[in-house]
Amino acid sequence: MTIDKLTPEFETFQGELKSFILRMTASVQDAEDIVQETYIKAHAKLNTFRGESSLKTWVFSIASNLARDLLRAKKRWPENVTDICREEVLGNRQFFQEALHIRETSPQGNFEIKEHIAFCFTCVSRSLPLEQQLALLLKEAYGFSVKETAQILDQTDAMVKYYLHTSRSKMIDIFDHRCSLINKQGICHQCTELNGIFNPKQKAQEELVKIEMAKDAENKSKEELFDLRMKILQELDPFESGAAELQLHHLEHNRQVMERYLEEKG
Amino acid sequence: MNNAQTNPKSQTGKAFTSKTLFSRETSVSVNIEADPSIVWALLTHASDVPRWNSTVVSMKGEIKEGGAIELKSTLDEKRVFKLKVKEFVPEKRLVWGDSMGSRVYTLDKNAGGVLFTMSEKIGGPLFPLFAKMIPSFDESFEKFAADLKKEAETIQGSKK
Repeated sequence: MTIDKLTPEFETFQGELKSFILRMTASVQDAEDIVQETYIKAHAKLNTFRGESSLKTWVFSIASNLARDLLRAKKRWPENVTDICREEVLGNRQFFQEALHIRETSPQGNFEIKEHIAFCFTCVSRSLPLEQQLALLLKEAYGFSVKETAQILDQTDAMVKYYLHTSRSKMIDIFDHRCSLINKQGICHQCTELNGIFNPKQKAQEELVKIEMAKDAENKSKEELFDLRMKILQELDPFESGAAELQLHHLEHNRQVMERYLEEKG
Repeated sequence: MNNAQTNPKSQTGKAFTSKTLFSRETSVSVNIEADPSIVWALLTHASDVPRWNSTVVSMKGEIKEGGAIELKSTLDEKRVFKLKVKEFVPEKRLVWGDSMGSRVYTLDKNAGGVLFTMSEKIGGPLFPLFAKMIPSFDESFEKFAADLKKEAETIQGSKK
């Protein structure tokens, strides 16, 4: 691999890399910084790339290490992150004013339930231990194999399998208890609630039948429903979608609420 | 060497208990067709243990050299066992316990995966006074070993 080939190849997966780091950090600023730093490091260390993996795998391993360095010192978010943030947002008039302004003026200001499902996953997955969150996203959302994920995380295949199995079990359990889209007893209705605010003329039920995970909730196993949730993540680019600006505004709100919440908890 | 390793019958996941006047030791041993790192990870990620282990109600703390853990077991759900990690040799040996006794976990890598052995010896000068109040560990040990084997082999075989 030569320097002149690095840039065009890097550009082919730069969007995925930025999306991956955003879903790890929940911060646009951190995602942009880490992608930039990853490129600089890849450029500087290109002579150490032996071609034992693809360039994409190698670059993701640099980015994963940078994300680890950033997140290792930070506390993990609680499983009920969306409840805590909902309480905060209800008393935050400025949030709704900004959000409605984005909704009315931005070409990326649509509210779509599907986009909120991906947003919700980003928040809830911050409750997993760091290595489990990394492994789950790499394998399930970005399509790396177990072997490639092991190379990226510098772990054995067996440990990656452990992280994947454990993280999937935890996330399946969390969503089964919380998400009203897949379980009528689920305690969280935020996606349909927000749909009512941002799309008042639209019927949520008509939107939900377009989402396979919600439409087939009663006929699919918990595992299959989780796979459908991950399919939504695979298909959405959180920076390029029609709801990107609205969702990123919401994500930044949740990140700030969580930082304050965890600091107050000590 | 503990009883499980000397008693081939107990290597099938059946618990084995030996008693003396001042002590009691229960062991179980089972072959697990999985990488030792998977078995070790399952044993040492405390917060995850209640998910796969039907004998553990809750577990808090960090399982690491010198770490402290708080364990609630189905043997007595009202009691919190406060335990210290006494030995921590990754993928080989883990010992935790209190003043009453120690629980020893050993992993011996073999051709098919790993031989898992768990034993616990409780005792002391006052043991005869309390012996009848302490329930048998046999059933709990067998469930523990069966749950660990099932979970580790599921992970090993997973395509996800």
